[in-house]
Amino acid sequence: MSTVDIEIKNLHAEVEGKAILKGVNLKINKGEVHALMGPNGSGKSTLSNVIMGNPSYEVTQGEIWFKGQNILELDPTERARLGVFLAFQYPVAIPGVSAAKFLKSAVEAVAPEGNKPSAGAFLKELRENIAYLEMDDSFINRFLNDGFSGGEKKRMEILQMLMLKPTFAVMDETDSGLDIDALRIVSKGVNKLVGPNLAVLLITHYERILQYIKPDHLHVLIDGRNVLSGGPELVKKLEEKGYDWIREEFGHEVLVS
Amino acid sequence: MTATIEQTDVWFPGFGESEFSNLIAGCGEQDAAARKVAFDRYRLCPVPTLRDEEWRRTDPDRIPFAGMKRLEGLDRAADPDRNDLDQAFDLVISISDRGYAITDRTGILAEGKAQVCPLSQMPADALGTYLHGEAVLEANRKYTQLNGAFWNVGFFIRIPANQVLAHGILIRYEHTTPGSILLPRLVVVAEAGSVAKVVEWYQSPDDVKLLCVGARELYVREAARLTVQAVQEWGVASTHVGEDWARVEKDGQIDWVTLTLGSGFSKMMVGCDVAEANANAYLSGLFFANEHQHIDQRTLQKHSAPHTYSNLLYKGAVKDSGHSVYQGVIAAAPGAIGVDAYQMNNNLILNTGARADSLPGLMIDADDLKCSHGATMGNIDPHQLFYLQSRGFSEVEARRMLVLAFFEEIIAKLNDSFLEDRIRADVNRKIG
Repeated sequence: MSTVDIEIKNLHAEVEGKAILKGVNLKINKGEVHALMGPNGSGKSTLSNVIMGNPSYEVTQGEIWFKGQNILELDPTERARLGVFLAFQYPVAIPGVSAAKFLKSAVEAVAPEGNKPSAGAFLKELRENIAYLEMDDSFINRFLNDGFSGGEKKRMEILQMLMLKPTFAVMDETDSGLDIDALRIVSKGVNKLVGPNLAVLLITHYERILQYIKPDHLHVLIDGRNVLSGGPELVKKLEEKGYDWIREEFGHEVLVS
Repeated sequence: MTATIEQTDVWFPGFGESEFSNLIAGCGEQDAAARKVAFDRYRLCPVPTLRDEEWRRTDPDRIPFAGMKRLEGLDRAADPDRNDLDQAFDLVISISDRGYAITDRTGILAEGKAQVCPLSQMPADALGTYLHGEAVLEANRKYTQLNGAFWNVGFFIRIPANQVLAHGILIRYEHTTPGSILLPRLVVVAEAGSVAKVVEWYQSPDDVKLLCVGARELYVREAARLTVQAVQEWGVASTHVGEDWARVEKDGQIDWVTLTLGSGFSKMMVGCDVAEANANAYLSGLFFANEHQHIDQRTLQKHSAPHTYSNLLYKGAVKDSGHSVYQGVIAAAPGAIGVDAYQMNNNLILNTGARADSLPGLMIDADDLKCSHGATMGNIDPHQLFYLQSRGFSEVEARRMLVLAFFEEIIAKLNDSFLEDRIRADVNRKIG
C-alpha cells in the first residue's frame, strides 16, 4: 500500500488570465516535511492558494489528490474539513470577530460530527498552546489579526494550526518578515505538530527557516514548474554546499530575487 | 401685500384645524398652550415633497395618513406588561395600545434620582425651556411640529444635578392595533453633572400596519453624560418617521446610538448641537434594509461653539431589494475655532439589486478646525471570506460572521449583553 498522502499531478493554474503554474508535480508522504523554494514570481504563493481553493485562481489542468480525493473538486470549506490547512503569507484582519470566538468556532467547524470538544477542553488546550507559542493571553480577546504586527499574525496562524490539527499543512512563506526570535517560536509550533499524522509543504524564500524545521525533501520551483526535487540527499547537499550551485544551475534569479 | 394662500395640502389627513381644536379642548391649559406653539409652526411648514433635496430619494407620499387613525386614550394603564429586558433598568415605562405604565424597579423616583412624568404634567419651570426648546435646530420641519402639536404619548424625564443612575431608564412601545398612528414624544434633561442612560425600544408585529411619527428633545447640561439608545424594531408593515434633537452644553457628553432594523419605510432626522465649549457628541448608527425595506437617515452635527467635538459613525447593510439613504451634514458656526468633527458612513451592499446612497456634506463657516467625512460602499471582502472558508466555515457561515463583524463596532457601544444579543439576533435573522 502506498504511503503517498498527497499527490499533485501536472498542475496548471492562472490568475486573471495569466498562466502562473505550468506543470507542478509533487508527492508528499504522510509524516514528511517538504520544503519548496523559488524566486519571486515562480508561483509559490499561487500553489498554496490553489491547494486551499482560493477562487481568485483558476486551475486549468491537473489534479491534487489527498485522502483518496481530487480536492480540486472541493470548495475551501470542504478542504479545510478534510484536514488541509494554509498558513497565510498575509493573514487578513477581521475586526469585529474576537480571536477566541473565531478559534472556538473554527475548531467546531472542522471537528467531525459528534466529536466537538467541550468548552473546557477547548479552553485548556488553547491556554496550553498560547503558552507554548509564548503569546500574551490578551491576544485571544482582541479582534482577529486586527492591529496585529506581522509577527503576531504569523503566530496566530500557527496557533490556529495547533488548534485545528490539520493533516496537510501548507506554510506560505510563514517565515518572511520574522525576526529570529519569532522565527524560532513559529518553528517550534510547527515542529510540535510534525509527526506521522501530518504532511507539511513548507514554502519559503529563505533557507534560514530550514535550520529550524528540517525538511525530508526539497523542491525548487521556477517559472511555474518544479525543476528540481530531491530527497534527503538533496537536503544534505544543500546543507553542505549552500545554494550557490542551484543558482548556477538554474539561473541567477533563483533564491536571490 | 397680504394674501390668503389657500393650501389644501398643508395638513396631513386627520391632522387639521378641526382635529386640533377637538384635541386641545380636552387638554389642560398648559398642555394646550404648548401644543398650540407647535401647531402654529406645523401650519406654516410646507409638506415635504419629492422636490425637496432631502426627500429626493424617499417619497413622502409613502408615509400613510389616509385611512389611518391617531391612537387615543393612551393613559396610565392599570398594570404593566413584563419583558426580559426590564431587569437591566432602574425604571421602565411600557406603552401599549391600552396605555402606559411606569415601573420604578429600583426606587429612583422616591430617592429623587430622577423625575419622570407624562409630558402633559411637565413641571412649569421646565416647560418653557425644554419643550419645543433650543434643541430643535430646525423648527421648520413638518413632522417635528406635527408631533409637537398632536403627540399622543409623551414623557418628560429629568435627572437632577449630580445624580447617577446605575442602570438607566427603558421606554418600550409595543403596538398591535392595525391602522393606528402613534406620535410619541420624549423630552430628556440630564442636569449638570448627572449620568444616565435612556433606551427607547419600538416593537410591533410584522403584519400590523402602523405609522409612528416620533420626536425627541434631549438636553445634556453642563458636565452631564447622557447615553441614548433608540432601537427601532417595528414590524415591516409599519412606517416610521423620527425627528430627534439634542443639545449638549459645556463639558457635557452624549453617546447616542440609533438602531434601525424594523419598519418597511422609515425617514429619520438626528440633529445634535455641541453648543458650548468642550461639549462632546458620539453619534452612532446601525441600519439594515432587507427585502423591500427603505431606510432614510439624515444627521446634523452642529458646532455652535468653539472647542467642541463630534464623532459620527453610521454603519448600514442593504440586502435583497433594500434601499438605504444616508445624508450627513457637519455645520460649524462662524467663529467656531478648535472644532473636531468626524463623520463616517460605511455601507455593506450584500447583493446587486440592493442599494445604498450616501451623501456626506460639510457646511463650514469657520476656519481653524479639524473636520473629516467619508463614506465607503462594498460587498463582503473576498479575502476575508476565503480566509474564513479555509478555516472550515461554510460560505454561508462565513458571510454571516462577516456581516455581524461589520456591525460589531456599533453593537458593542450598547454595552449591555442582553440588548447586544438581541440586536445580533435581529441582524442574524435579516442575513437569512
